[in-house]
Amino acid sequence: MAPTAGGNPLRDPRDRRLPRLPDASALVVFGVTGDLSRKKLIPAVYDLANRGLLPPGFVLLGFARRDWRDDEPFIEFARECAEKGARTPFREETWDRLASSIKFVPGSFDDDAAFDRLAQTLTGLEASHGIRGNAAFYLSIPPSAFPVVLKQMERTGLADEQAAGGWRRVVVEKPFGHDQESARELNSLVDEVFGPADVFRIDHYLGKETVQNLFALRFANTLFEPIWNSQFVDSVQITMAEDVGIGTRAGFYDETGAARDVLQNHLLQLLALTAMEEPVSFGAATIRTEKIKILRAVSLPTDLDRYAIRGQYEQGWLAGDRVTGYLGEENIPPSSTTETYAAVRLGIETRRWAGVPFYLRTGKRLPRRVTEIAISFKQAPHLPFDATDTTDLGHNQLVVRVQPDEGVTLKFGSKVPGTAMEVRDVAMEFLFGEAFTESLPEAYERLILDVLLGDAMLFPDNAEVEESWRIIDPLEEFWAGRKPYPYRAGSWGPPAADEMLARDGRRWRRP
Amino acid sequence: MTTLWDTTGSAVVKALAAERRAAGALAFGLALTLVVVVDEKNVAAAESAATGAAAAHPCRLLIVVRRQIDAPHPRLDAEVSIGGRLGPGEAIVMRMYGRLALHAESVVLPLLASDAPVVTWWHDEPPTRIAFDPLGVFADRRVTDVSRAADPLGALALRAADFAPGDTDLAWTRISGWRTLLAAAFDGRADQPHQAQIDADPADPSAQLFAGWLRARLGVPVEVTGGGRRGIQAVRVAVDDGEVAVTRADIRSGTITRPGVPPRRLPLRQLDLGDLMAEELRRIDDDAVYADALAAWSGVPDLAGRSGHREHIWRDPMEQAAAPVAEPAGGAS
Repeated sequence: MAPTAGGNPLRDPRDRRLPRLPDASALVVFGVTGDLSRKKLIPAVYDLANRGLLPPGFVLLGFARRDWRDDEPFIEFARECAEKGARTPFREETWDRLASSIKFVPGSFDDDAAFDRLAQTLTGLEASHGIRGNAAFYLSIPPSAFPVVLKQMERTGLADEQAAGGWRRVVVEKPFGHDQESARELNSLVDEVFGPADVFRIDHYLGKETVQNLFALRFANTLFEPIWNSQFVDSVQITMAEDVGIGTRAGFYDETGAARDVLQNHLLQLLALTAMEEPVSFGAATIRTEKIKILRAVSLPTDLDRYAIRGQYEQGWLAGDRVTGYLGEENIPPSSTTETYAAVRLGIETRRWAGVPFYLRTGKRLPRRVTEIAISFKQAPHLPFDATDTTDLGHNQLVVRVQPDEGVTLKFGSKVPGTAMEVRDVAMEFLFGEAFTESLPEAYERLILDVLLGDAMLFPDNAEVEESWRIIDPLEEFWAGRKPYPYRAGSWGPPAADEMLARDGRRWRRP
Repeated sequence: MTTLWDTTGSAVVKALAAERRAAGALAFGLALTLVVVVDEKNVAAAESAATGAAAAHPCRLLIVVRRQIDAPHPRLDAEVSIGGRLGPGEAIVMRMYGRLALHAESVVLPLLASDAPVVTWWHDEPPTRIAFDPLGVFADRRVTDVSRAADPLGALALRAADFAPGDTDLAWTRISGWRTLLAAAFDGRADQPHQAQIDADPADPSAQLFAGWLRARLGVPVEVTGGGRRGIQAVRVAVDDGEVAVTRADIRSGTITRPGVPPRRLPLRQLDLGDLMAEELRRIDDDAVYADALAAWSGVPDLAGRSGHREHIWRDPMEQAAAPVAEPAGGAS
């Protein structure tokens, strides 16, 4: 008998034409009328349905404070979101099919009766939709509401796997706290109600195809790993630039700032993936083990004044438009010292990386939206050419572009055609979307699917979150009370950040 | 686009290089070469399907049309384009006349993308033996479509006799959606199936492969009955507490029925030829599950264990026209 998977005689691990489908389950979304749910979650659920990746027994159950008596207004609302946000073409038939699996329970978080109704509805879905007691709870709500919602779930037994007879998982969005202390509190709060293994912290960057390609690039090839160390690598630059301002998130952003919003999670995760050792297998636990080792080994510069720079954008011109400065944005106090740009030099105290600086930067209102990891290699120890022949030769670079134009660029020296010997940098590009243009799934699609499948590989765990705060907390402490450097909107950050690299004899790569 | 009349293979290679330079991008991310073998009357259909598949998997597209093998003088016409009517990638349509048609590989070999896998697809009736067609011998993956044959089941039997790992047939690709839904219906169930029934025309090769797959996986008798309407209408598997079934609801969806659970509707699309080819191009390794299904249907044992290597067997259709077609030998070398 041929091998089977998961006890299903029709599933064969060799049969890669059949997609892996999650168990019959419900996705319960708290705060389902919020921004994230409207723009990302509901469209992602529709796309999954359209691609045929949802199980036969699936229910999307919304919970929010809306005066909707039955499911109809919510279905109408969800339809609008799907029509606007879906990546795959909107089809009436797919929608009708999905609509029969969309339910809504109105209520506020402190309303006991509402949670009782929610628990009843969920039990009822077992009979009507065959969800077999499986449910994932997506907390698309502000962290301040976590305690009350979790308590309600505990009270009504929503998180009790034994009582439910299936799995119960919870999905949490960043920010995971605002410092190490609060992260620890938040983690123990969530872990108390759900088991640590059932908590999925979404960092949507890790759902991006290129980030996973980083694994393939590093561990499926022999070409790169031998030079992936301080002997060959000169420095690493990890950039996440946004051209947008703070949009409508003024209140949240002014409390948070760029370091907590981006550096603490996305950039440190990218750093961990870039620097980690090879995991012993490709599984959630083994990958986390390696990531946490790197995060523990991260060291801060001693001279924070020079190597931890933050900035705040002033008015300027961006993409042909005049944009206001941060202090001029709506609902931002004119005295705000919140940073919209942060750049820092980190070290990794391991044999592999000792002495290699990792430069991390993120900012808003930079010239373009781009996220990339650039590994800059050392220059050849000896160049057998005349000095004038190689004036245009820089460092070899390997750049992993996370977004947009997902792909890899390799920069190396090449002879300029002609009679003279002249060596200059050229770039070899691999566009992910060109060699394999299957329409790439949205990060949220992938992550929601992974939650339902119970695959925690792309989700950071407690220890990683707390360790990341260990790195960020001293920076925040140092910055508190200091004014960020101003930079013009539409420029690549404050001059102090350029000086920081110039001091080390390097310069920022223009992405 | 460059059109070359009465040309040579080397001129085609040069024209391709010139087109690549003109397109400005010398480093295309080519993942594979797709060779399409098609009759003149079906060129348009094959072109549009290959273009659709190439949009999902950028590849070098080589369309080979063999014409008038009895023409007195060999002749090659070619059309080279990049980013033109044949999709975003590189495409060459070649028409070969006279004896050249029997040596198509002499033109095609230098045009293959370097060190990338080759997929050969016969749009029309599959060859009786793939080893007879040199365009199939150098391919890593070979895709046939028995539904294009006058006698599809006879053609499917030939595919089993001639099988080598790396072969697949679009009759198999057509049931991926059905298999997905049926497998989903069995997720989370632990019961033992007793027998299965497929509601389809027994002469439908896809239905027969479906039956072969069920026999191989479940080890139960499977019956293909019904007919009338085209295509598979339903599949039913008897289990301890009733029946697990997938039924076609409309052209885009199917209904899953299981005991004790309300029926559910899920996507079950009828894929067009371009989508089918896109699915084929997704994987370049061989499909052992197809081999098992084909073996279970045909009774030819252990297809998956055969060697994937084929040697070209010279065969001249001009002589064959006089002599009767030789039966394929029992197994590939």
